[in-house]
Amino acid sequence: MVFVLFKESLLFAWQSLISNKLRSFLSLLGITIGIFAIILVFTIVDGLESNIRGSIQSLGNNVVYIQKWPWSFGPDYPWWKYMNRPTPEYSELAELQKRCKSTEAIAFRLGARKTIKYRSNSIQNAVVAGISHGFYKIKNFDLSEGRYFTQAETDAGYRLVLIGASIAEGLFPNEDPLGKEIHIAGQKATVIGVIKKEGESLLGISFDYQVITPFNFARYFMDIRSENSDPTIYVKAKNNVSNAEMMDELTGVMRGIRKLKPMAEPDFALNETSLLSQGFDVLFDIIGTAGWIIGGFSILVGGFGIANIMFVSVRERTNLIGIQKSLGAKNIFILLQFLSESVLLSAIGGFFGLLLTYIITTLGQGAMGMDITLSSSNIILGFTISILIGIISGFIPAYSASQLDPVEAIRTN
Amino acid sequence: MKRPRIISIICILGYLSVLFTFPQVFSPPIKKLGVFMPAIYGILVSAHFIACVGIWYFKQWGVQLYLMAFFAKTLFYLLTDQIGLSLYVGSAFSVVFMFILLRHYPKMNPNL
Repeated sequence: MVFVLFKESLLFAWQSLISNKLRSFLSLLGITIGIFAIILVFTIVDGLESNIRGSIQSLGNNVVYIQKWPWSFGPDYPWWKYMNRPTPEYSELAELQKRCKSTEAIAFRLGARKTIKYRSNSIQNAVVAGISHGFYKIKNFDLSEGRYFTQAETDAGYRLVLIGASIAEGLFPNEDPLGKEIHIAGQKATVIGVIKKEGESLLGISFDYQVITPFNFARYFMDIRSENSDPTIYVKAKNNVSNAEMMDELTGVMRGIRKLKPMAEPDFALNETSLLSQGFDVLFDIIGTAGWIIGGFSILVGGFGIANIMFVSVRERTNLIGIQKSLGAKNIFILLQFLSESVLLSAIGGFFGLLLTYIITTLGQGAMGMDITLSSSNIILGFTISILIGIISGFIPAYSASQLDPVEAIRTN
Repeated sequence: MKRPRIISIICILGYLSVLFTFPQVFSPPIKKLGVFMPAIYGILVSAHFIACVGIWYFKQWGVQLYLMAFFAKTLFYLLTDQIGLSLYVGSAFSVVFMFILLRHYPKMNPNL
């Protein structure tokens, strides 16, 4: 019975919508724009968030970075204290490996931007990283072809390199890079491997644009004491050891290596990825809230538009309502008829809003090279909002129509 | 029967609260609770609004729906651990409103 009533109401609503095409189109435009605005913001925020979180995750959750500067910047950041700190050195790596018990792997890395050449092809400002052998145990990267350095090759500083996928595409467009000799800042080096394509990273930490060489080779063309090359010691905790425990041990060992007095402040920073995550949590909350406010207002305006058009509809069809009621139509039927009309109008508006969001994100995805996808949760949210707006904005006109006195309604011109 | 002024005030406050709580349906905190949480919360907000319309027309079903929406909303807040000052203040107002509404309940229209 309820189903039949609902079906009939829906049919009436549909006929009413198609008999006033332009008016229906204009009134659903408000909802379309509102849903488009809010879902687009949510989709972009979700895409950026997953990209940045993925990048942070690739840095490693259980990895601690020993560096000169800390990552946490507060309002009273005492930068002058850190200015005179020494940068981490390669020699400290061996000491750490010897003394630390809670670590699974330790590696050293420094990097600089250099020009890479192969015959007439060249890439400027490519990131060249000089690493110690244990780097592969800390950073997860797969090779699409070739192999990693051996312990002897890294220790002896062989002139070998691993190149990122984009570097390989740029330097060797029609050739196999393996075994080819490239020039890094004037130094010759042989390509022994190509790193699998990772895609764009908003934090700029993708291996696609990197060239990796053994540290003892990199020292020929890099200033290993320069702060610009960002010397960093990467330390990975054992599986059963927490970051906090490992950091306690690292603090003691580093103080011992640098011969700091018991009361002296540490002259190194122990950074971990959770510091970055916390910073981005705040940023995404702000962007999400801004999108919510902007979209919320658009939706409200759309809702008022639907309510307005529903009042006009009721006014126009007052006579018809009177006839329907006098022929035995119940209040609930009149209520459902107008409510279905506003919900249908709003749902169609929501559908077009979602369709527009899908088109824009698909086009944007191609242009930006980033993964921005309209997720199922955002589709559900978009439909939910549009249906609820339809109910809220259509209920008062629908209910007032259902309460009309049939005699009075028939008399209305 | 003519609607008492206190009922009109309750309804206007109810409409205003819907105006302010509706944007929460798609707010980041509710969105984070789960995929279907905005829909559930939205249904509760809509029920609250429809109840206010019913009360505005001085109908008994409006009060019944208001009571159901209040308990369902409180349950939602408790289950999702959204307990805060706004819940306490909102609940206090709702309890006072419910008391007033129940006093006028026998005089209301029992039909749809």
